[in-house]
Parts: sequence; structure tokens; C-alpha cells
Amino acid sequence: MTLDAILQVVISGLLMGLIYALVAAGLSLIFGLMDVVNFAHGELMMVAMYAVFTLWQVSGLDPLILLPIVAALMFGIGVAIYRLLISRALEVRFNKGMVQIFATFGLAIFIRGFAQMVYGGEFRSITSSWLANRTANIYGVYLPLPQVAASLVCLAAFGILLAINRTEFGRALEATREDREAVALIGIDRDRIFALGWGLGSATVGVAGVMLAGFYYVSPNVGANFALIAYVTVALGGFGSMIGALAAGLLIGEVEAITAQLLEPSLKQVGMFAIYLAVLMFRPRGLFGKI
Amino acid sequence: MQNSISLRRRRELLVAAGLLLVFILVPLGISDVYTRNLIIITLLFAGLSQAWNILGGYCGQISLGHSLYFGVGAYVSTMMFVGPHIPPPVGMLAGGLLAAAMALLVGWPCFRLSGHYYAIATVVVQEIGYLLALNWDWIGGSSGIYIPFRGESFLNLQFRTAKLPYVYLVLTFVAVTWLVAWWIEGSRWGFAWRAVKDDVVAARSLGVRIFQSKMIATAISGFFTGIGGAIFAQYVGYIDPDSILSGQIAILIALPAVLGGVGTLWGPLIGACVLIPLRELSSSYLGSSGSGVDLMLYGVLIMAVALLRPQGLVSLFSIKRGTNGSAA
Amino acid sequence: MKLFGYLAAATLVLGAGQARAADDIVIGAVYPLTGNSAPVGLDAKAAYETAVEIINSTHPEIPMLMGKGGGLDRLGGAKIRIVFADSQADPQKARAETERLITQEHAIAIIGSYTSATAATISQVTERYEVPYMSADNSSPSLNQRGLKWFFRTSPHDEMFTAAMFQFFKDEGEKTGHKVGSVALFYEDSIFGTDSSNVQRKLAGDTKVTVAADIKYRANSPSLSAEAQKLKAANADVLMPSSYTSDAILILKAMNEIGYKPKAIMAQAAGFQEQAFLTGAGALAEGGMSRSSFALDAVKSRPAIAPVNALYKARNNKDLNDNTSRDITALVVLVDAINRAGSVKPEDIRKALVATDVKGSETIMPWAGVKFDETGQNTKGTPVIQQITGGVYHTIWPFDVAVQDAVWGVGP
Repeated sequence: MTLDAILQVVISGLLMGLIYALVAAGLSLIFGLMDVVNFAHGELMMVAMYAVFTLWQVSGLDPLILLPIVAALMFGIGVAIYRLLISRALEVRFNKGMVQIFATFGLAIFIRGFAQMVYGGEFRSITSSWLANRTANIYGVYLPLPQVAASLVCLAAFGILLAINRTEFGRALEATREDREAVALIGIDRDRIFALGWGLGSATVGVAGVMLAGFYYVSPNVGANFALIAYVTVALGGFGSMIGALAAGLLIGEVEAITAQLLEPSLKQVGMFAIYLAVLMFRPRGLFGKI
Repeated sequence: MQNSISLRRRRELLVAAGLLLVFILVPLGISDVYTRNLIIITLLFAGLSQAWNILGGYCGQISLGHSLYFGVGAYVSTMMFVGPHIPPPVGMLAGGLLAAAMALLVGWPCFRLSGHYYAIATVVVQEIGYLLALNWDWIGGSSGIYIPFRGESFLNLQFRTAKLPYVYLVLTFVAVTWLVAWWIEGSRWGFAWRAVKDDVVAARSLGVRIFQSKMIATAISGFFTGIGGAIFAQYVGYIDPDSILSGQIAILIALPAVLGGVGTLWGPLIGACVLIPLRELSSSYLGSSGSGVDLMLYGVLIMAVALLRPQGLVSLFSIKRGTNGSAA
Repeated sequence: MKLFGYLAAATLVLGAGQARAADDIVIGAVYPLTGNSAPVGLDAKAAYETAVEIINSTHPEIPMLMGKGGGLDRLGGAKIRIVFADSQADPQKARAETERLITQEHAIAIIGSYTSATAATISQVTERYEVPYMSADNSSPSLNQRGLKWFFRTSPHDEMFTAAMFQFFKDEGEKTGHKVGSVALFYEDSIFGTDSSNVQRKLAGDTKVTVAADIKYRANSPSLSAEAQKLKAANADVLMPSSYTSDAILILKAMNEIGYKPKAIMAQAAGFQEQAFLTGAGALAEGGMSRSSFALDAVKSRPAIAPVNALYKARNNKDLNDNTSRDITALVVLVDAINRAGSVKPEDIRKALVATDVKGSETIMPWAGVKFDETGQNTKGTPVIQQITGGVYHTIWPFDVAVQDAVWGVGP
């Protein structure tokens, strides 16, 4: 293999890894806040992809311009899901974990059915945008611009998420995470924090969906292609850890890219799954996990 | 106290015997092939979910990768039947044993993980198994294996169009898994496992050997899941990784127990009796429009049960227990 | 518990509410109508509805088998009714639904089913119930080689399709001097992908063409960039993909992203023949070639194409393609056999199917005709090779039905 080709493999893995990290970030955020694994995470991403596709089709505006609109929309959807479904699942006194898993799992199936009803099963793509199908060639290594943009947005999103941690709201989040009962005493509305957390988590995966729609097709089942990797990323990084999600995303992206070169590409996901098992043998709570 | 427990357990046995009689007689009155098929699939998943319940319910280890053991059972019995013509009842047993061995092999590293880390690990192991099966040509790879029809025979468990023998086969399967669960509930193991489920630290201080408990539970659970897989393979007549080893099957094995009531004796059966017919009927009669309405209905049902009946559907009957025997 | 009672009752009522006319001839169609393969199943549904409209209603004659309209004349003008069932691309569901169609809906024949795994179980059921199964669009070569008595397939299978590709390479080389020395196989890890690649590997060996890359990939992957890099490294004369729509779009994008323009693409139809692919891949697909069993542009030799396509388009807002044209053809061949049998007894229909001998000009296909061998396979289904120019497929081989010459090169 030439040096160009090796660099290309590394860069492809890096770009894909950052996307995995961005998809996983929202999942990790919600889990860290309230111990809820959202099994409809992939479907939320799918909703964002359809949203940007529809807005693009109607308005003709570039997905990058539509990004804040979709993020805001997804924030609203996240809050609504919390208010209508999750807050009730949290009140349940029996089988808490089970109820949360299957409430969000039911939601996932519902959203898939809904997308099928509205859009049919057809695969759709955003065919024209500033960056669509454009690449930059740097010394023989090719950089696909939509993925580069997605990576930059990913880094920005992680920056914002970490910055939020330092604001008053972030401290409230942190306090709620640490001790859910005590925060009420110091005047923090737990319910409101949870709702905002869900809004933020959904907006994050919404951003991932918009950036992904720039180079990936949309269909009712598209969430499933990314969801399992997102769960593995979050668990590998450690549930609730932002830095963990970022590091795990990058690791998984690279492992996948390298496995595909060494083994038959149809086995490339075996590499990332094996890494998950191997790491968890030594660190049962993931790379950066506390809970 | 001791007395009331044994009284309750005896009553459960009686209810089960009554139900068994109902399930033996009712299919005789139904000649329609589609309904009989529905009964077979429902009962099969009731048994599979009961097997899952032994690990997931009683011992509290949420496995979302049980299709791996299901697949081992299906592939082993099929390979033995297609190749050296070994009759499925033998293959079924071999499949069950190998599935149990596989469960131990998976459990050994994974049981040191807890909660969501364990659940994700089971999915990951199942996915690895699925990917390897897709690429393993000796067991048919992605093309799967056709099970040849070798004529009507009880030994081969093959019947041209008759469904009744299968109804009784899966009924036996459900009865055996139920009995095992019933026995576990009253045994020393059952008490130890519930302690592991509720509070690991407390269990350890009580002298419960946690790792060993989990390993026994997973072996029993894996064994019966493998048997179910072998029955399914022989019934459908064709297996491939997508229909046998996929994550979807793993969810379908866990779901009835969750809906019906995790860690309860009747939960898997009740859950399967509601979930499977609803799923099959809605996709038969609403799915043909391709509108996605069947999926929406299915999703709403799961959300509704999760929120409205967190202890599972079995809680609908718990008030009546003792006064009224019927539980399904 | 009440809630579930209502839900169950509602589904039953909805089911019972479907119109049921006693004297209609019922044919069951099993397709994936939900899930990943749903788009193809829903197109097939529209195709069958179009064919039923042509067979049943009164209209000016269409120059095609059963194109007269007005029902089945030898059965007193009886009408055809298709009952659709959703297989969800799951072999177990396909088996159960087939049984339901035969026993509850009294279907006298089954037609289907797009995915090969479902065809495997459907054909087992039809064999046991002794009802004909008409395979309209399953292309796995193994299906008709299992000694089945009730299996019939109008469509060519992958061996015949792939033979046509290599014949095209040879003919083109003799005609223009453009030689194909190496191919890169790129196929998904499904029964379709492996069957297709097995035949391609064998025929490449037989015709002394080097296989420069042999890449099996995971269907519906989040990314195909590693696969694209392997293809770039091999840089074969022709890339031969066997992919469904989603991955077809993705691999073209992935190759573009690493600055690789394949010298030529020869696809095993599937995703490459879908409108969603042509839209999604856009200019990247320009110049791509694909085998097809259908040639929309063969309007001169097949006058039925224009009216049939117009009816289909009115219903589904798309042109007929490789799959939907095969579906319509399979159904009219089946119904013609029922009509010739003059009976709805399965054995009579089977005999009529065995005796089928239809000329290509009586269909909308560019085939020599329809005639089944002892395995139930149509031996006269001769495929064509097409190329995308201006975002539309044009026939380039066989030369006698070609509308333009092949151009080598892919992309904008």
C-alpha cells in the first residue's frame, strides 16, 4: 500500500469517526442526565434527515442554512417526547429500566411507521447543495467536503456541549446528574432540566442528521444503520461521558476503516464490535465512564 | 407463611394443568390453517420468552442477543438433518446443548459487565455471530439452507400441510419451559437469582455466588432457546442468518416477557398471547397497504403497555388470583 | 385488557371489510410491503394493479397477451382479483402469508416475491398445497434447481443475465476493438449478492477475464469508503456491482469522494435500475451500464409498451422498469394459462403453464418468448444491456434492438 492510500484510510476513518461521535453525543447526554437509554435515537436522526430533506425540497435553501431551523425543530421534538412519554416513564415505580427501554423502543417503531406513512419507503437524497459530491485533493489525498463540513460541525457541537457544562444551566445539569433529589432543595426544577436535556440531546442528533443528509440517503429505516454503532460508541466511551463519546467515535471509525482493509469488507463491523468487548474486559465502565 | 407459599404454588400448577387442557382441546376445534399457524408461532415465542425470562427475569440479566442461541439451535439441528440425516429430535437436543455451551462462552466474559454495558455487550456478541454466519459458506452463508421435505414423518417432524402435530410440539415446549420456571421459582437457585437481581452487594453478603448463579441461569436459558430455534427451523423449512440470527429476533424473544411481566411465571405466555397475534394480524390485514399503519399500531401498543402496566399485563390478573383461576 | 380487545377487534373488522366477490379468480401476491425492501414491493403492487386493470376492464385492445380486456373469455368473462400480502422480506412471514392466501383467500396461484429467501419458503408451501407459484422477479439461479413441480419463472435468472454481460463484452470487443481484460466484483452479503458474484466469477474465468477485486460488503453500511478504496486500488476495466438502491447510491458517492472514476460499470440491475438511484446518484451515474430484462425504448418491436407504460405511469407516477415490467409479464402469462386451461383447478393450470409457448412480440419484454423447461424456467427470456445517458437508460445490446452505441467512461 502506498503512503497516499494509507493516509486516505486514516482520514476516511477519522471523518466517519467524528460522525459516529456526533450521532452518539446526544444519546450520551441524555443517558448521563437521567440514566435513560433512548432506543429511538436512530429514529430521531431519521426525523431530522427527513425534515432537512423536506425543507430543502420546498425552499431550495442549502442544508447548511437549514441547519439551525432543523436543530430548533428537533429541540422542540425532544422536549415534547420528554413531556409526553419519558416523564411518565420516570414516574413508574416498577421495572423502571425495562419500562424506559421499551417505551423508547415502542416510540422508535411508531416513528418508523409514521415515516413510512408520510414518505413511503422510497430512498431519497438531497441532490444539490453547495458541497454535494465535491472533494478537495491535497497532495493525492482526497477530502470529501460534505464529510469535512460534518466533522467541523461535530467538533463545534462538542465545543458547545462542553461550554454549556460551564454555564449556570450546565451546573444545574451537573447537579441534577449528581443528586436528583437534592437539587429540588436548592430551587432547581428537575423536570425542566430533564426537558431541556432531552431538547439538547435531540437537537444534537438533529445536527448529525442534517450533516449526514448532505452525503447519505434518507429512508424510514436509515436510523437502524447508525443506531447500533451509536450505542456501542456510547458504551465504549462510558455512558454519560462527552469526551468518552468523542474518543470512542474516533476509535471506532479508525478500527472500522482498518478492519475493512485487512479483512473482507463485509466483516468490517466485527472489528469495532471486538474492540468494544476487548476494552470492556479491562474497563467494564468504558473508556471514560463513571456510572 | 411457608404454607401459603406452597398453597399458591400448588394452585399455579392446577391453573397450568387447566390451561394445558384448554390448549390441547381448542386447536382441535379450529381447522383453519392460518389460525393454527398463529397458535404455533404464539406458543413458540411464549416458550422462547419463558426461556429468556429465566435469565432476564429471574436473574435480572437483560440479554438483547438471545437470537444467537436461537440460531445455534436452528443451525445445529438443520445441519445434522440435511447432512447425515440425523432426525430432528436428536438434532434438537444437540442444538440445545451447544446453545447452552455458547451461552456459557458468552457469559464468561460478559457477566463481569453490569446494566446497560451488559445489554449492549449481548447485542454486540449476537451481531458478531450474525456477521460470521453471513460469511461462513459451510453453513450456507447468506444463501441459507433449504430443509428438504423427506415425506410425512413424526421422526423427521415433517408434515405436508398438517399443523396439529406442530401445535402439540410447541405446546410441549411451552409446558416444559413453564415447568422449569415454576421449579426455579421454588428452588434455592430461584432465591439466589432474585437476590442477584435485586441487590448484588446484599446477595454477596448472603453468600450467594453471583457469577456461578448467572452462569447456571444463562445455560438453562440458552438450552431452551436453542431447542426453540431447532423447532422453528424445522417448521419453517428454510433458515438464513437474516431470519434466524438478526437483532429483530432477539427483540421478539425478549418482548413477550417484558410486556407480560418480567420475572413472573405467567408473563411470557400472556405477553406472547397478546403481542404475537396482534403483530401477525396487523401486518396481515394492515401491512398489505404498505402504509406503515401496522408499525404505528405496534409501536403505540408497546408504549402503552410499558407506561400503563409497568409490571406487565400479568398485573391485570393478580388481583383476581386465588378467586378466579383463569390467567389467559 | 379492554384496550387490546378493541385493537384486536378493529384489526379483524378492517380485515373482514376488504371487498370480497365470490366469483372472482383470486391470485395471491406476496411482497415486502414494509421495511427496507418496501419501495420495490409497492412498485410491484402498482404493476399488478395495472395488469389487472388491463385484463379485467373494457378498453381498446392492447397488443399484448390478455390485452383484449373484459376478463377471461374462456371462463365466461371471469375477473381476476389479486390479494396482496406483506412478507416483510421475512421467510417465516412469507410462508405463513402464502398459506393464508391459499386457505383463507382461496388463491388458485401465488405470484411473488422479489427477495430470494422468501421465494424459497413460498415455493415450498405451494409445492405442498399443489398450487402454481409464478416467480416474477426472483433472479437467484438456485430456485428452479430444487426439483419443484409447481414452480414457474418467466424471468431470466442471474446466470442468464451474467452470460449476457460477458457476451456483450465479447461482441463489443469484436465490433469496436475495446477489450475488457479485468473486472472488479462488488456485491452485498446477501443471497442475491453471493449468487450473482458466483456466476460472475465463473464466467470471468471461462472467458479469460481477470478478477482484479472480489469485494463482498455489508448491506446498508453507514459508509462504503473503505470498499471504494479497494476498488480504486484494483482499477479494473469494468466494475460489476450487485447492490440494492441504498448501497448503489452510496458506492458511487464513495468512489467520487476519493477521486476515483471507474472506467466502466456493468450492474446486475437491482438498485441500479431504480428511479431513486438515478435521482440520488445524479451525474455520477452517467455512463453506467446495467443488464435488464426490459427495454422501455424498444417501442418499435414491442408496440404494447407505450399503452401499458402509460397506464402504469398514471397509477404510480414512474416509468416501468426492470422489475415492474417482469411483474406485469409474469401475471399476464399466468392468467393466459388459466384462461387456456379454462378451469380454476390447479392441476389444469399447471398443465397449461407447462404448455405455454408465447412469442416475445406478444409481451412488453424484449425476449424471444416464454417457454418453460422441465424445471419451470423460461428459456427464452433474453436480457438486454442498457446504459445511462442523460439520466435515462438506453438499450445498447443486443445490437439489433440497440438504440445507441455503448460509450466507455462513467461520471460527469
